[in-house]
Amino acid sequence: MKSKPVEKKRKARDEESDSESDDELGNGLFDGVLEASEDEEDYIPSDEIDDGDSESEASEGSEDTEEEDDDALLSDDIPSDVEGDDEMGKLSKGAEELEITEPGVDPKPKHQEEEHRNYRIEKDANGGERYIYDEIDPVYDSDDSDAQGPVNTIGDIPLSFYDSYPHIGYDINGKKIMRPATGDALQSLLDTIEVPKGWTGLTDVNTGNPLNLTQEELELVRRVQHGLVPDEGYDPYPDTVEWFTSKQETMPLSAAPEPKRRFLPSKNEAKQVMKLVRAIREGRILPYKPPEEREREEEEKEEVQFDLWQDEEPAAPNPMHIPAPKLPPPGYEMSYNPPEEYLPTKEEREEWEKTDPEDREKEFLPQKYNSLRKVPAWGTLVKERFERCMDLYLAPRVRKNRLNIDPNSLLPKLPSPAELKPFPTVVQTIFRGHEGTVRSVAIDPVSFPCSNICMTNADHQQTGVALATGGSDGTVRVWELLTGRQVWSVRLSSEDPVYAVRWRPTKDAFILAASAGEDVFLMVPTHSSVTPTLDQASRDVLAAGFGYATNGQQPAAAPGKEPAGKWARPGTKLEDAGVLVRVTVRSAVKVITWHRRGDHFATVSPEGQRSSVAIHTLSKHLTQIPFRKLHGLAQTVVFHPLKPLFFVATMRTVRCYDLQKVELVKIVQPGAKWISSLDIHSGGDHLIVGSYDRRLLWHDLDLSNRPHKTMRFHPKAIRAVRYHKGGLPLFADTSDDGTLQIFYGKVPNDQLESPTIVPVKQLKGHKVVNQVGVVDIDWHPREPWCVSAGADGTARLWM
Amino acid sequence: MDEPMNDAPGAQVKVTFTTNEADLQLPEEKRQLLVPADIRRYGLSRILNSDLMLDSGSIPFDFLVNGSFLRSSLEDYLNSEGLSLETNLTLQYVRSLIPPVFEASFEHDDWVSSVDVLTSTSPAGRWSGDNFSRGQERILSASYDGLLRIWNASGEVLVTSPSASHGGHSASIKAAKFISSSQLASTGMDRSIRVWKYTDSGASGQAELKPTLELYGHRASVDSLEVDGPSKRILTASADGSVGLWSTSKSTSPEADPSLLPNAHTSKRRKITSSITTPQRGPLFLMQIHNAPATAAVFDPRDRTVGYSISQDHTVKTLDLTTGSVVANLTLSHSLLSLCAIPRSGGAPLLAVGTSARHITLVDPRASAATTSVMTLRGHTNKVVTLAANPENEYSLVSGSHDGTCRIWDLRSIRPASGGETEGGMGNVSEPVYVFERESRAGKKKTVAGEGAKVFGVVWDKELGILSGGEDKKVQVNRGRDVVKE
Repeated sequence: MKSKPVEKKRKARDEESDSESDDELGNGLFDGVLEASEDEEDYIPSDEIDDGDSESEASEGSEDTEEEDDDALLSDDIPSDVEGDDEMGKLSKGAEELEITEPGVDPKPKHQEEEHRNYRIEKDANGGERYIYDEIDPVYDSDDSDAQGPVNTIGDIPLSFYDSYPHIGYDINGKKIMRPATGDALQSLLDTIEVPKGWTGLTDVNTGNPLNLTQEELELVRRVQHGLVPDEGYDPYPDTVEWFTSKQETMPLSAAPEPKRRFLPSKNEAKQVMKLVRAIREGRILPYKPPEEREREEEEKEEVQFDLWQDEEPAAPNPMHIPAPKLPPPGYEMSYNPPEEYLPTKEEREEWEKTDPEDREKEFLPQKYNSLRKVPAWGTLVKERFERCMDLYLAPRVRKNRLNIDPNSLLPKLPSPAELKPFPTVVQTIFRGHEGTVRSVAIDPVSFPCSNICMTNADHQQTGVALATGGSDGTVRVWELLTGRQVWSVRLSSEDPVYAVRWRPTKDAFILAASAGEDVFLMVPTHSSVTPTLDQASRDVLAAGFGYATNGQQPAAAPGKEPAGKWARPGTKLEDAGVLVRVTVRSAVKVITWHRRGDHFATVSPEGQRSSVAIHTLSKHLTQIPFRKLHGLAQTVVFHPLKPLFFVATMRTVRCYDLQKVELVKIVQPGAKWISSLDIHSGGDHLIVGSYDRRLLWHDLDLSNRPHKTMRFHPKAIRAVRYHKGGLPLFADTSDDGTLQIFYGKVPNDQLESPTIVPVKQLKGHKVVNQVGVVDIDWHPREPWCVSAGADGTARLWM
Repeated sequence: MDEPMNDAPGAQVKVTFTTNEADLQLPEEKRQLLVPADIRRYGLSRILNSDLMLDSGSIPFDFLVNGSFLRSSLEDYLNSEGLSLETNLTLQYVRSLIPPVFEASFEHDDWVSSVDVLTSTSPAGRWSGDNFSRGQERILSASYDGLLRIWNASGEVLVTSPSASHGGHSASIKAAKFISSSQLASTGMDRSIRVWKYTDSGASGQAELKPTLELYGHRASVDSLEVDGPSKRILTASADGSVGLWSTSKSTSPEADPSLLPNAHTSKRRKITSSITTPQRGPLFLMQIHNAPATAAVFDPRDRTVGYSISQDHTVKTLDLTTGSVVANLTLSHSLLSLCAIPRSGGAPLLAVGTSARHITLVDPRASAATTSVMTLRGHTNKVVTLAANPENEYSLVSGSHDGTCRIWDLRSIRPASGGETEGGMGNVSEPVYVFERESRAGKKKTVAGEGAKVFGVVWDKELGILSGGEDKKVQVNRGRDVVKE
């Protein structure tokens, strides 16, 4: 608005220049007018300057007009810019308006208009003169922003709202703007096919007509799209016009001589100087401050230094605050005068220089200076500081919660092994004689808890004097336990190793069972404990079943089906040696387990598929296969010491069967990958399982199917596990690493307490042969002694 | 302590000599003496033997200082104990134990389980009295091959017992003892005790060994046998837990239990038929008193009606042999494997008990004794399976163990047990005075668990010394008669 009249005037001039073909002439006229009326002093050498001046002059002039304009606006609320609005111009032609606007026009343009009249004078209703102006063509440069003002006043709502109406909106006067007539469908189709020039496909909101762009508008859009200055002719970077330069003109602007005052001393200055001189003389100004005053000032100065953080209270560090990690303290090599050994050798120096700075182990090379004074400035200080800052800034710092707990306090409180004596500690007897691995050991006889009852028998046979071993050489040997003297030996097989030897656990007979290949042999070894009576009794026990078999009471095997086990006499040679019965099953027997009463024994032949577990009845010479099918390979079996329960260990699980009700009672899952051995506590509620994957697992059968404790003490597979059956809280395992691990395992009387398990001793001594270490173990029935069977061909008594 | 005084060449220590031996008492005024500080046992011994002191010739003495033998110079001892040179040392002088020297080995065919000697000073020699001809020492060895051998002192086998088919043992012999110069008893794994008649017709004559009596009653291997000549009694301990008392005379023995006789049942087993029929008798008493194998039984050295038995069930039982009843019962903490009675001047003997826990416990069997376990002797590394007391005194004994060593112990050298050594034993502790190993293993590497060198039997005789038999199939003779010189 402010510069509008100016613009108007310029427009008018442009118009005028447009209308006139001769620019120069027009300018010349203007110049003349302006010069005459305005500043006389300035010499304007060029047209351009004149132009600028005329503009400024015009703007000066416009100030007045504007003020008047404002007054007019205040006096009358009808807007003055009616000229810009052609429609408005058409609609309202109030004479007053024109009267009012007239004074806004400069007299000079008026004067100019005398010659180029852009209006015509008409008579108005009152008979006065009325100027009718031409329509102003709003060219691009025009500031007439109102010209393109919106005519449709419906605002920023979609035009589709008016689809159902004949009009498309309302103009500023509230009149309906009718929808322009549109062609029929064919026409619109043709329009889409023959795209007219400037077609956009849009509808002009204001008119409802298709919005077409003119060539100029398209050019404008294109320029805007290309990021160019929208006006084609505009040069944003014109050459600088150096109005005032350092160039010395030949003709100075003024040739006036230097005024005299330039050569005279300034009186005013002299006055000022005299004032200072006087002050110095009077002592009001001192060349220096008196000392006391200086001190006072210094004190004041010091006092002025205030502590920015004086009011700050030491707050507890933010819990999320992580202090920056400290740099490592400097070492000797960082000294300016390090000891000689820290100085790099020539090779080291070369290597250091050769390597890429990023790959260097050290950032610097130690250097020696004789004195601190010779140390140069540290060249990479800024770089180092910068990298330190980068480290601090970029390195993520994570708060780690560190528990401040004494690790020892997390360990369970276990009694020390010294308090848990007795347990075996050293090897005391070595039983040497087997060629190849000793596969199995058994101390005579395994005493089950019922042995206390058996002790009351008239026959006071003592246990724990005879040791039986079976070896890879196919022999079974009986030894005197303490001295290691072999007292009996028999060769059961020339090819097959004796995998298992087990004493019959009752004292009415002295019977040893041993397996070689598919055969299980029952024998009465010659031993000092075998009195003629006992010998006879043992033979009777073994022979009893033969009569049973001949009596035909044995259930006949299905015709064409191989019986589960064939009971026979082994032949005179073996019978002379004391081997009295041979039971042949379908595949090689690896494990023999006696029932506590001594009438039944179970055998396991892991390769035996369906018939891998067999239960044999001694008194009937009967072999039964209790399981139609087994889940996995049977590894070992064990009878419950008190109840008619039977545990079968397959590779992964231990299943507990009730033999009376013939049902599955429980499945124990030790979590081992391959169970090797199994033993049950004499109380019957606890189970230990050894596995080839190095684990020893203690199960509380009442508590859970999962292990109560898992122990890994061996680097190699566990071969055998065994509880002490004579009342001592001991158990042991043997491993392929050639060691035995003795554990203290106290089962509390109280059901609620958990058992105490303490590893007390590792027994070393067996040699590892072909990756096989200690194969079997048996405990002495009373004492804390155990016998181990090793792959090195020895059995060892530990006590 | 004044250091320069220590280094002075003429440093002297004031000592007081005492002794418990009545015949070697010093006069009161001679007991205090100043001796050079660097003097050792030998010097002290010579001082004591000198004319001015005991005038006893050349008795080697050992000196006990605070219960341990003096093994260095007095000065070193004082330094090690942190005592001043001005301390008045009390030296108890005792007759010296001389290291036993290997003398001979007698080769056998199989392991030697037991050894006994017949000399004029051995019990059998004393019992036989005039019948025993002096100068004819005999050595009896029992072997695992089931044979008894009798040797003379120069290592020649005079006679070997007949084989099983001629009246001998049908299994290994575990123990054998001379009853008199003409009678001996043996027992073993065939559960029988055999009494033999031994006739020895002099140095060149034909010695003969004839079975006279077979005694049956035990149901398992008989591991120990003790004899009493005058009363003709045999005391045995068997692995069946029983202790048997037997008579050596056929007439006084009851009939044997027929079921225990070897041919009681006709079985298909190869029968051992003996061409010689020997009378078979049973026990006077068979005391089923132990819950585990009885390992040894001995007579009381003074009162032959009292016996002591031990077992693997950890008990020591005092037996009244006239009635066959248990008088007292003592429970120790380990399996007991060997026993010997050391006579004491005042009443009941001291029992030395070898255990499976590698030590020897000395037990006072009297019911009135305040402490049952008097002393523990440590040093063996394996089961102590045989013990023999020194026949000449009441304070030393020899033990044989499966670790392949025999150790000589002096009960006078004692020290109180420290805290860490309370395991398995109580009271005072002692270390062996001498250790000797099997000569056959000399120079060889020591085996684990004494394999190949186990000692099974040991006997200490006044004249022949210490004889031990073992797994190396040898009877080894070590000079023991000077070990404690009279």
